[in-house]
Amino acid sequence: MKRQVPLALVFIFGIFMIIQYFIPHEKSEWVYEFFLDWIYIIGIFALALGIWSLIRVSYDKIKYRRPNWQYAAITLLGLFFMILFGFDYGRHIFSAEGLRNYMFVSFFDYILIPIQATMFSLLAFFIASAAYRAFRARSALATLLLLAALIIMLRFNPYFGAVTPYIEKTAGWLLNVPNLAAKRAIIIGVGLGIVATSLKVILGIERAYLGKD
Amino acid sequence: MKLTFLIACCVLFLGFPVAGFAQDTPEEAQPADSITTPIPAPPGNVTAWDTENDHGHSVSLSWEPSPDDGTGLGNVIGYIVFRSDSPDGPFVDRGVQPAGASGHTDVGSKEEASQDYMADYVDYYYKVRAITADSLVFAESVMVGPVQSYGQWFNTGRIPVLVFVLCFMAITIFFIQKAKSGANLFVRRLAGIEAVDEAIGRATEMGKPILYVLGLGTAADIATIASYTILGRVAKKIAEYQTGLIVPCYDPITMTVAQETVKTAYMDAGRPDAYNEDMVYFVTQSQFAYVAAVNGTMLRERPATNIYMGKFYAESLILAETGALAGSIQIAGTDEIAQIPFFVVACDYTLIGEELYAASAYLGREPLLLGSLKAQDYAKAAVIILAILGVIAMNVGLDGFKDLFYISN
Amino acid sequence: MKRSSIIIMLVVLAMFVISWLAKASSMAGVEDHNIWHGFLITFSAFLTLAILSFLYKDNPFYKFAEHLFVGVSAAYWMSMGFWTTIVGNLIPRISNSLSAFFEVPPIADEWALLLLPDSVTFFIPVILGIMLLLRLSRNMGWISAWPLAFIVGSTAGFNLVRYLRSDFIEQVSSTFVPLLVDWQGTGHFFSHLNLNASGQFVTMAGNWVIFLGVMCGLIYFFFSKEHKGIFGFGSRVGIWILMVTFGASFGYTVMGRISLLVGRLTFLFGDWLGLIS
Repeated sequence: MKRQVPLALVFIFGIFMIIQYFIPHEKSEWVYEFFLDWIYIIGIFALALGIWSLIRVSYDKIKYRRPNWQYAAITLLGLFFMILFGFDYGRHIFSAEGLRNYMFVSFFDYILIPIQATMFSLLAFFIASAAYRAFRARSALATLLLLAALIIMLRFNPYFGAVTPYIEKTAGWLLNVPNLAAKRAIIIGVGLGIVATSLKVILGIERAYLGKD
Repeated sequence: MKLTFLIACCVLFLGFPVAGFAQDTPEEAQPADSITTPIPAPPGNVTAWDTENDHGHSVSLSWEPSPDDGTGLGNVIGYIVFRSDSPDGPFVDRGVQPAGASGHTDVGSKEEASQDYMADYVDYYYKVRAITADSLVFAESVMVGPVQSYGQWFNTGRIPVLVFVLCFMAITIFFIQKAKSGANLFVRRLAGIEAVDEAIGRATEMGKPILYVLGLGTAADIATIASYTILGRVAKKIAEYQTGLIVPCYDPITMTVAQETVKTAYMDAGRPDAYNEDMVYFVTQSQFAYVAAVNGTMLRERPATNIYMGKFYAESLILAETGALAGSIQIAGTDEIAQIPFFVVACDYTLIGEELYAASAYLGREPLLLGSLKAQDYAKAAVIILAILGVIAMNVGLDGFKDLFYISN
Repeated sequence: MKRSSIIIMLVVLAMFVISWLAKASSMAGVEDHNIWHGFLITFSAFLTLAILSFLYKDNPFYKFAEHLFVGVSAAYWMSMGFWTTIVGNLIPRISNSLSAFFEVPPIADEWALLLLPDSVTFFIPVILGIMLLLRLSRNMGWISAWPLAFIVGSTAGFNLVRYLRSDFIEQVSSTFVPLLVDWQGTGHFFSHLNLNASGQFVTMAGNWVIFLGVMCGLIYFFFSKEHKGIFGFGSRVGIWILMVTFGASFGYTVMGRISLLVGRLTFLFGDWLGLIS
């Protein structure tokens, strides 16, 4: 029962979604949209589970004075205040309710956005260090990889004068021919893998996600 | 004589400009509105039918272009399609096509509240108007109708997909049955997966934990599902060696599944007491906040091995480089093609694309999973054969072969 | 805490306050609430520098920014999820009184699933969601597998057909390329011997590379045969072509990543320090 019902549900909904793909009728579309809405709604309950896990782990860190417990307090404070502002309704702390709450928007604009953008910008440094380490590897494959990368990077460089048109053409050819071929091979392999794994999940062969009986 | 000569000179002197003026003027002097655009011939043979393989609310039309479109008078610049739900009108504009066009699809909205709503099972009437540069000069076709729109219950344009689904199911079930009957199915070695055992051993010797990152996919993503299986195997080995395990999660449902997987692995290894629920924890569902937290964990906990298996996006390089800075052995696997190059460059071992899915079969050596892997290989062999046949067909002029793979919508 | 750490923290705090006051005074007369806005911009700059300090090594400022980010972002997505999905999509379907309380218009039934109205059928995901929350219970935790099964099964079925079409059928049919061309003389064949032209030789060579590249790439991903002999040769060609692809992707993203850094530096030197207009 504990195992059979989930496996039956996986099979039924999996086969239904496959059949739905071949039925263009409106009624089939509506059922599909129903299920999508359901998945989003269930996702919010799952998020509540996740927040509970975060609170519990942070609280345990503070309670048992584990290393860096002070920062766990920062996490909880940030979480608490953001929820307070985000769920504000009718109390109007500083200004309008819900997602238009002034403090909620300020936290988003002046905390989330700057940190997110800065984390993203770290890639500029990491891409350089990754290229350097690949160069140090001195294997033929790493050299080929870096050579291709170099040609593509130089493509937009206007300082090479007479050589630039040839670099551009070589880069264009690299992108449109061998790059396309290899990407297609990977995509076909990945596509087959996804289809095979989806089939295993639907048929109940792949059941690691359900845990043990 | 002199008077005659004088009069003749006056006539000549005055007559030339007058004659020249008279010659120049007719073209300039005629008013513009006296030039009329001739009426073109209307488009012919207009037919309308319900659009096939759709959810309804759409009618397709075709017509023969006006004889004055590109030839004849050459003054047709386009066509306007008009629709009414009564043969007496009023007709409303339902789209424009350029000169040379011979068809149009009138697509309406399925939302009743929308202004563009087009009901199914209602009679519609159509006219096609050939237009010229002068908006007052046009020619309309004969009205066609009534025609009704409705949804279909089977999309015939997707038959190739159905054929391949059934073929793939048949191949998979065949090889699974073959594997169940005890046939020995060979799988070549995957360097990335063989390195996992070595990496776990290294972590045990160093007394440091192993960091396992399931990626940023949802619990239902195929890459994440493949990652659960690998996590289960890794967790079982870790339980046997009594090494530490850290699994920070991005998606809360993934967290619940991962907790279940790790708990099961510890029980299978005979070490249920060693399982701690805080090994697998939720961080946040924000991409870079998650990465910031995992980076911090890497630098503080200094795991001996980092394993990245699942769906990754732009943060892949940040994770891999930070792990390299922390001195960890790194094994990665993802199906995100854009991120594979970064893992290849920054990690010690990388499972490229399909190898991630094969890894679960490779690790467990379960007959059912190996049978499915065999089916994938046979499908790839079929791709090679089809590609060769397709290329031959193209070069001998058999374009119909490629049409077998055409999916209309 | 070490004395040097305390000194560093005090210096950073002093610089923060000075920067804040300088920013506020530069905004005086231009903006209302200049002190508050000055604080916000200075705090953003502080968080930016704290994250960048990670490149040097892990430090308390990075830890502070990281933990704040985690807490605030988790709550942000919770709030977004509540207002857009629960209040925006669920409540208008199931309860008129709650819809009135949250001031959202009720959503009319488009079509009744199982001949039941939305106000009934949309309780099903609520029940499934509560089942998921029962994961926390020792005795009833097993029931959380049911909503999971629904999500995993639906997504597997959805993915199977769509990836089969886009990643298999359409890719295979795109590999049917002409490998031979109609011979129209040597001059015509070798015309436009530059790499991005559409001369016959170049097109044909490109098609051969695409065809053989795809074949060798697929051979590389064969798992049930040892890569030896001619098969091994094909596999090696495949990995070489894969490396070219990876290098091309790598090079292509470099420009984009550098522009992200430029964006952050523009904020620091422009919005914060006012050195760039």
